Parts: sequence; C-alpha cells; structure tokens
Amino acid sequence: MAAAAVYGGFKGRKLGVEDAPELQLNRIRITLSSKNVKNLEKVCADLVKGAKDKQLRVKGPVRIPTKVLHITTRKSPCGEGTNTWDRFEFRIHKRVIDLISSPDVVKQITSITIEPGVEVEVTIADV
Amino acid sequence: MGGRGGGGGGRKARNFATFRLFPRAGAADPNDRVFVRVDNNDYTVPGFADEDSFDPSLSDPSAGDGNFHSASGPLPEHVRREILELGLPDDGYNYLSHLRELRPAAASSFVPSSTARPEPLPLDVKAYDASRVRVGPSDGELDEGKTMCKVAAKTAPVRRIEKAVDPDVVRLLDESDVSHVGSEDEGLEEDFVIIANRAEGEELEEEDIEEWNGVLSDVEEEFDFEEDEPKPRVRRLLDEQFDLLALEEYGDSDDDDRVVKDGEYELPSEAIDELKLFQSQNVCVDEEYRTPADFVRQKVDSSTTDEVDESAHVIKKCAEYAERYLNETAEEEVVVLVSESSDESEVWDCETIVSTFSNLDNHPGKIETPGIPRKRLPRVFPGETTTTNDIIKLHGKEKLPVEYLPQRRRNGEKEKKVKPVEASVTDKFKKGAEKETKEEKKARKAAVKEEKKEARKAKKELKGLYKSETQKAQKVAAVTGPSSIRLIYCGKHFGLFEIMT
Repeated sequence: MAAAAVYGGFKGRKLGVEDAPELQLNRIRITLSSKNVKNLEKVCADLVKGAKDKQLRVKGPVRIPTKVLHITTRKSPCGEGTNTWDRFEFRIHKRVIDLISSPDVVKQITSITIEPGVEVEVTIADV
Repeated sequence: MGGRGGGGGGRKARNFATFRLFPRAGAADPNDRVFVRVDNNDYTVPGFADEDSFDPSLSDPSAGDGNFHSASGPLPEHVRREILELGLPDDGYNYLSHLRELRPAAASSFVPSSTARPEPLPLDVKAYDASRVRVGPSDGELDEGKTMCKVAAKTAPVRRIEKAVDPDVVRLLDESDVSHVGSEDEGLEEDFVIIANRAEGEELEEEDIEEWNGVLSDVEEEFDFEEDEPKPRVRRLLDEQFDLLALEEYGDSDDDDRVVKDGEYELPSEAIDELKLFQSQNVCVDEEYRTPADFVRQKVDSSTTDEVDESAHVIKKCAEYAERYLNETAEEEVVVLVSESSDESEVWDCETIVSTFSNLDNHPGKIETPGIPRKRLPRVFPGETTTTNDIIKLHGKEKLPVEYLPQRRRNGEKEKKVKPVEASVTDKFKKGAEKETKEEKKARKAAVKEEKKEARKAKKELKGLYKSETQKAQKVAAVTGPSSIRLIYCGKHFGLFEIMT
C-alpha cells in the first residue's frame, strides 16, 4: 500500500499528461512461457516492438531462469541387459514483459503476435 | 511492483486481474485464442476479456445467476407458488435454485408396483405344473430312480409354466400376520414315526401288496412262507435261462441290494391272491419244517383238514408240472431261439481294426522296390549337337552319362593316351622286352586308375554343383507323387531331368 502511495504520486503526474485520451492506464505484466526458445524470443521481440511503436513504457523481456524437468528412464523395456538409462529433458522458458498502458492496446498487441506453443498470461493491475 | 509494502497483517490487496490465452472452444485452429480470466479477484477490467463464450468470471456479481436477479424485487408468482408447494418458506429467496433432478438410479424410496411380475425363471430351469399328477400309492419304494421314472412318465400331459411360484410362498405372502400363530400345528409330532407305521400297518391289510415296506415284519413273513410253495405260474425254459443269466450278471450284487431287488419286481396277481389268502388265515410258521407229504400222510399231529387238503393239492400239482415239463422237453415244441445280441457281431477282428481304411476308397498296392530307370531317355539331349551316340550309358548312383560329355571324354582319352605312352616309355628304359607285359599291365592299370580318379573328381564337382537342385527336386517328388520318380542330373549343360519308370 505504501509503495502504491509512492507510485501514486508519480503516477498522478503521468496520468495528468495522458488524461486527454481518457484511457485508464494499468500496469500490465505479460508472462510468456514456452518450450521453444526460438518462438518465445520471437514473440517477445514482437511484443516489445509493438509496444515501443505505440510509445508505451516497456520493461524489456526479463528472462526467468529456465526450468528443466528431467525424466530418467531405463532404456530397456524389460529388465534384461546392461542398465542403460535415457535422460530426457523438458525445458520451460519464461519471459516477463511489463507495460504501462490501457488494456485495449495490449489486447491489440497480443492479438497480432500469436505463435503456436507460446503460453501468454496477462496480469492487469492498477497503475 | 505493486503492493509490496503490504504489511504484516492481512493478505495483500488483490487488485489485479489475470488473463490467459486459451484456444477458443470448438475452434479448429489452435492459434485462435482468446483471453480467459484465471483468477478470482474482485478487480474488474472492463475492456479485456469480454467474450461470452466462456463463463470466466466467477467473481463478477453480474455473471450467471439464473434467470432473475434475486436481489431485484420479489420473486415471480409461479416461482413463489412452487416454493410454497414444496413446503419451503416464502422469504424472497429462490429455493428452487437448490432443487435437484432425481435420477432414476438415485431413487431412495421403494414404491411397490401393483402390476408386479413374479421373478422370472432363470434360463436353465424349466418348471412344470405337476399339481394334477397322481403319484402311485407305492411310496415305499426305495429305488428313487424307478419312482422318478414312473412319475415322469405320467407327467406327459402336464403343461409347462413360465413362472414358478411356490404355492406355499404365495400363501405366506398373502396371509396376514394373524395366521402365523397356527403354524405350530403344522410341525411334526414327536413320535411321528410310530404313528406313521401304525397307520401303514392297518392299511396294508386292505390295500395291494404292491406296497412294499421292508420295515414291516409280517409282510416279510408272508413272503418267506410263500417261497415254500410252488410258483403259481408255469415255469418255462425261458425263466430258467433268465435266472441263470441274472445270476451270472448280477450274482455279485445280490447281497447288497437284495432288499431292493425284492422290492423291485411286482408280484404277479396270482401271488398277490395267494398272499391275501394267507393273510386272512394268519398262518404262522412252525418250528419244524414240514413238507406237504407230511401233512398228507398225517404224520403231523396238529394238521387241520385244510392243510391236508392243500398239501394233497400241492403234491398233485407238482406231479402235473413235472410231467408237463418232461413232455415239453421231449417234444421240444417250442424252440426258443435266443438270438445272440448284436454285441458279438460288432466285435472287430484284428485284421479289420489295423487299418481304418475301407477298400472302397483305399486301393493299397503292393510295395515294390522302385526299378532302375532304363528307358525313356531322350535320345538327343536338347542343346547338344556334337555327339551322335544313340545310347547314353548312365553309370553310378547319380546316373551320370559316362563317356558322353565331350570334355571329359577327351580328357579321359588324352590321359589314357598319355599315361600308357609315358609308362611304356619309362618302362622300356628300365627293363627289357620281357618285362613289357608286366609293365604294360601296370601301365594299363595305372591308366585306368587315373581315369577313374578323374571321373570321380569330376563327378564330385558336378554333384556339388547341383546338390541343392537335387534336394529341391527330391522334396517336390516326395510330396507330389509316388516313389518311382528318380532324379538324375546330367552335366552342367543340361540341368535336371526327371525319369519316370
């Protein structure tokens, strides 16, 4: 709450400037997660570019450490033979982008850049 | 970051909304996604997930509340009436929203149906209404099988019923509780055995003697007494034969089921009459054994006139029967032919059983050794033009045409020529003319040996070449036809030929 008050002051000034279009600004956090780094990076880049085009304040993609899920199984379907093991990995990459804008804009942005396999979660809070 | 200094008291103020991209329900394209709210906070974002395809907001008060806003005004009339009918209070709350549809499986109360069908029979049971069947009065028979057969034979006109409900069960179901008091009388008395026997003993004098009760002693007595008398029926040859046969086959089991056997056969009516007679007389057996002759000759003191007469009659009858029997055997007017049962004719002899084939479809032939194929050789092998021999001699097991293949022949001739020449030359150097014959012989023999050696080598080579082919063809021959196919192979030029004898 205290932090909100602090921010409130700052925010107030900002709001004054942007009050003209009557858009409620929110702090928006976009969390992108995927197994696929390439797609993920592409989506991130697109989002950031789109936001920057619209002159929004963007806090660039924060890379959360990759979560690796290991699955280690015996290669053999039966118990016979040398005990060889398979080591499978499942990597989850996560990126976080913070914006300050109105929800409509964000909706626009996110609707454009849709890549399969990337999970998008948007959290909207008061500014 | 928002709300970090939230404080140690309560939870942080959750004034945020989280949306996630989900693929649209029913959409073919997985990339067709919409934002769906995934949290339960009160925070509203009007511009964001506005689609109605999901029912996202559980926290929004404006979302799904049934048909009417319960907060807005009193409930409609029919709703109120229904609530009142159910017995719920009419306090403005729509209790109908809490009503649940009763599924048939969830029925908790049992309502007995008025049109109830009695339990149908299981598929492997057949029920017959045998209430009209009169079972014979011979309930003293010990052989259950016989009784069942008798009863079963009489149940032919009995009709089959679909539902079998025991009449007792029906009665019990229908009765009220009051009548249960009387069930005690239906139980058995304690001395029911004695009562039953007593009752049966009285009945026997009136009823048929067919009623066998091995327990009663007076019946047995009568039977014993009756054995001393001659058979009321004329005894034929067949009877004796039958007895013999019976003894033969069932002699062992005589002791076990003697009682049963006695009870099995029905006494002929004449015997019954006799027994009745005795019953009325109340005859008792004396200690001593008395023959009819004793009675007649009046050796016995306490003989009555009846007995004397009877005895006389008996003796006369015996004599008559004896005469008749003698006459019968002398005349042989009735020759009883007892045909042998079919058992003997069905006995198989050794010859018949060895083979289950009949000559109708099996024509066995004499097994002979397959002859050596001599004839039916093609005169000229196809493809061979050099030779002009008419007869090609085949030697050896594989029937190789010796002296046929030009190659070998040439080789053989060459060697033949070479060897003896060489041998004779060398020999001549060594010894004089006198030793020539010996040397010549030796040389000749050596030449022949060489030739044979070469032949062997060539044959082996050829055999190796075509071994697999031979095996294959042999297999085929074994499968297809009789054993008189012989396989030959001749030379590497021609492959395999089959020769049939």
